[in-house]
Amino acid sequence: MTKSKTLTGGALLFEVLQEHGVQHVFGYPGGAIMPIYDALYDSEVKHYLCRHEQGAAFSAVGYARAAGKVGVCLATSGPGATNLITGLADALADSIPVVAITGQVPTAAMGSDAFQEIDIFGLSLACTKHSFQVTDINDLEKVLHQAFEIALEGRHGPVLVDIPKDIQLAEVTQRLDKLSHLRNKVKLPLADISKALDLLSHAKQPILYVGGGVGMANAVEEVRNFAEKTGMPSVSTLKGLGAINPDNENYLGMLGMHGTKAANIAVQESDLLVVVGARFDDRVTGKLDEFAPNARVIHFDIDTAEINKRRDADAAILGDLKGNLPLLATTLDISDWQQKLRKMSIDFSWRYDHPGENIFAPALLKTVSNFMPNNTCITTDVGQHQMWAAQHMDFDDPSNFLTSGGMGTMGFGLPAAIGAQISRPHDTVIAVSGDGSIMMNVQELATIKRYQIPVKVVLIDNAKLGMVRQWQDLFFDGRLSETDLSDNPDFVMLATAFDIKAKQISKKSEIDAAVKEMLDHDGPYFLQVKIDASENVWPLVPPNTANDKMMESV
Amino acid sequence: MNHMTLNKYQLIIMADDKQVVLERILQVTRYRGFLINGINAEVNTGNNVATITMSVSSERPIALLVDQINKLIDIKSVKVDNRAVQTQQYSA
Repeated sequence: MTKSKTLTGGALLFEVLQEHGVQHVFGYPGGAIMPIYDALYDSEVKHYLCRHEQGAAFSAVGYARAAGKVGVCLATSGPGATNLITGLADALADSIPVVAITGQVPTAAMGSDAFQEIDIFGLSLACTKHSFQVTDINDLEKVLHQAFEIALEGRHGPVLVDIPKDIQLAEVTQRLDKLSHLRNKVKLPLADISKALDLLSHAKQPILYVGGGVGMANAVEEVRNFAEKTGMPSVSTLKGLGAINPDNENYLGMLGMHGTKAANIAVQESDLLVVVGARFDDRVTGKLDEFAPNARVIHFDIDTAEINKRRDADAAILGDLKGNLPLLATTLDISDWQQKLRKMSIDFSWRYDHPGENIFAPALLKTVSNFMPNNTCITTDVGQHQMWAAQHMDFDDPSNFLTSGGMGTMGFGLPAAIGAQISRPHDTVIAVSGDGSIMMNVQELATIKRYQIPVKVVLIDNAKLGMVRQWQDLFFDGRLSETDLSDNPDFVMLATAFDIKAKQISKKSEIDAAVKEMLDHDGPYFLQVKIDASENVWPLVPPNTANDKMMESV
Repeated sequence: MNHMTLNKYQLIIMADDKQVVLERILQVTRYRGFLINGINAEVNTGNNVATITMSVSSERPIALLVDQINKLIDIKSVKVDNRAVQTQQYSA
């Protein structure tokens, strides 16, 4: 017998969230979402009050990425909803499953320029995978189920559900139906497995090019097995970091604009790219026409639209990477290529012997990486510190390195760390940030204070918008336009104002003790690390340049 | 002076008659670099399926647009009417 019960739209929302296993949501109340917040009062779902809707959206993203679950955020109509947009765009660019619930003015007032009314449904078109506006209470339950299904189906992404206030208040009988199932609209062509095997068997200098899709396909084990069995040298995109074990002797590190010299040269010299869950992003390829000019391409992806989008595939294998990649796992006779690249990797390995007493950010981050416990989750903001973290820290799983890859959103790191910590309360979570980025969502220190979330913040402080300053120095004749941040607040005092233990260091000799103190502290901690403002991120592939023509210094 | 090739295509799109499906198609078409030269949309109220015929032009390959429209949740199918494909050179 089918069970049913009558409840309000707001209460129905939390019933459906719980059906999907949602335990935590991030949000901020307001007028047009008050019935939902009233229903929350009686719900078992735990709500985290962020201090800005953008913080709520990024916390949902961090939660989703760290835990492999759908992240959920709530906001009211008008400015509350528009404040979610950057977070949704970030989730779309990085294919993160998020469900955003927005309140809307009552249906009778919609279209009248009512107080706090904005067409968030229209605004959502370019920054979500899909969106709904519920104008009939009888559609609400089905729509909410569909939102979760769409967020996780195929290539993950954000879904927005806009619910007018009267729909939140209306009563409805919950059907308790089984979840609706979308038809599988992706008609996948037959995979070019035999073509791919043929390409593989003739390759002398293959490279495994690993992207963020590996973690999202839950295929880390399969990719590592493939790398081991084939012995194929591998490189990673920013979002793919952690998919390959950093100790793999044939792993060359990150490729692209700030990739390792070994990785970029190897890709340029390769005769076959086996691309898994990656999309030939412009930050990876440099000048596209000169990217891996002699390589054939085997492209694994879940998204048909990524095949042949920026680089033609000689063999396209669409669908579930987890099932498809093992079909190509075979031993290869590439020992000369392996040895050449292993030597190159050693010859071009990072150096940390930086002169002087000032802190060298790469060495600092290497120390944090060496000291941090297994399964530590690192988040970053965007800029120089982000690239240094990607270059010099080791990650044992993609879910342990959360960075805004596609959108490159400053302000991501702190709220994402909050979401990650809530999803994984027993793991250490460290937000590596910059003095520009931290100020973009600094209000989330209040969220840390309120819930005593033990996030550690490592602030790389050069009192500059460092990456923009670097480009102004290199490509705009040193005309330093609006990149000076020497009037930053006293960060130690700022953190202390939120009851967060804080310390500033500026000398190499202080690093080890400070990092240990931070990691040993049982609660949130804010470590401000002063560095020289003139430091640059190297290597750097200049814009519209082939990856083997990288700059290594000025 | 660069000589560009502008291709004209006609797409036949079948979609569920859902909210803003036309807006979604228009947004994707513009964003992916295609100009809309003409559009006709009709709904079969019997099965709630919309048929949208759209003439577009671009220097970019039409497969790029077809794949992106196909990703939209409410789309049932996208076909290129090969009889309507035209190519034209212009200087930019």
